[in-house]
Amino acid sequence: MKFLCVACDEPMKLRETRGPDNGSMAIIYRCGLCHRDIAMLTNSMETQMVRSLGVKIGAGGRTEAAEPMEMLRSSLSEQRAGISAPEAGPAASKCPFTGVVTSAYAAADQGLVWDESAQARLAAIPEFVRPMVKKSIEEHAREKGYREIDTSVMDEVKGRVGM
Amino acid sequence: MKTYHDIVSDGGSGVAEQVGEHASRVEERLAQVTDIVAIMSGKGGVGKSTLTVNLAAALARLGCAVGVLDADINGPSIAKMTGVRGHTPVPTDEGMTPAMAALGIRVMSIDLFLPQDATPVLWNAPTQHSAYTWRSMMEMAAFREMLSDTQWGALDVLLIDLPPGADKLPNVADIIPTLSGALVITGPSEVSRMVVARSITMATDVADVPVLGLVENMGPITCRRCGHEEELFPGVGAEGLSRDLGVPYWGRIPFDPRLAHMADTGDMFVDGYPDTPTATAICYLARTLHEHLSRVRIGSLS
Repeated sequence: MKFLCVACDEPMKLRETRGPDNGSMAIIYRCGLCHRDIAMLTNSMETQMVRSLGVKIGAGGRTEAAEPMEMLRSSLSEQRAGISAPEAGPAASKCPFTGVVTSAYAAADQGLVWDESAQARLAAIPEFVRPMVKKSIEEHAREKGYREIDTSVMDEVKGRVGM
Repeated sequence: MKTYHDIVSDGGSGVAEQVGEHASRVEERLAQVTDIVAIMSGKGGVGKSTLTVNLAAALARLGCAVGVLDADINGPSIAKMTGVRGHTPVPTDEGMTPAMAALGIRVMSIDLFLPQDATPVLWNAPTQHSAYTWRSMMEMAAFREMLSDTQWGALDVLLIDLPPGADKLPNVADIIPTLSGALVITGPSEVSRMVVARSITMATDVADVPVLGLVENMGPITCRRCGHEEELFPGVGAEGLSRDLGVPYWGRIPFDPRLAHMADTGDMFVDGYPDTPTATAICYLARTLHEHLSRVRIGSLS
């Protein structure tokens, strides 16, 4: 994808990225002649499609060699213990798009905090369905932009997962 | 006003170059692999994976260095059938370590990354809603990575076990331009014949991949007590399909219920029951494949 300033007939350059915010990214381009800025706003499906390509969008593109199975290891939702996350993969890249998406998702994953009562309630759920329930609640929390999961958040998804 | 093609740069990302790097990575890894054969059908339930595993074992018994890549991202079974689910891949400077099955067969499957039997393949995303728009892209990226980033080493043959669906081979052929060909598996039924016919057309007319041979699986079953042979699934057979579509007929594999048991225990049937009609047919198929690939290689040199 390329961006053209119609008034100047000049290709625009990527300036910065913002987000993701509920899966949406803002990618801001500037015309080098008239300095007009435009923002491309992606929906969560578009953000995810770029992520799945395993390419880096922005000045410089990819600056380091990809680690073995970098996309798979950084994107598979549930993995075995012992599968290590990429050290210098997308999350550590200078990519202003894919890298930002992945690192922001990683930060979001780390940022979700379960309070004690929520943890206790989760622990009471039968083990064979617990991972699926936990995943549903965390998905819901991310969709809503919550940083902390308490029992009220669990109540919000109660109907959906049959807790 | 300028058009897309008037603008040389994409803003500095070099996306096309990065996609080219993916292709180079695949090419570099496969430079040590002599032949890559896709095992396909289009039809589900015809025994592709069971046959893949036992064909790998039969090729290994011929002295070939063999690898198996499980391309079924959502229903992986090769790790179970080869008894290597205990292996967890480890990243090294040379790539991820494959599992080592019996007879030195190297195996890679997404199953080796999943924690539990009931864990489905899900990808991190803010939401799984409308994931149909991007899920298949993630799956193909995962397939490409398993192909290019596995420490296969030097192999004579890499077998790729494809999931059902006529679209799978063209996708794989896009990623592997050096694919030696496809071995097509069908069952005896008219339904199987119809679905497989579409897949063969897709392979030859769209993907431009040579169909090495057509194999009919789940053939006759022989009574172990009296030796009486009976069709497991009476049907039209695959020879007619082979003639109609102009693809070589490479025979039929008799059915043996112990195939399923051996798959469950992670053992190779051709190793456990080498003197049965089924193992004999699979070993004959392996020799046919091996000889064909050798002839093609010699022909390409002359």
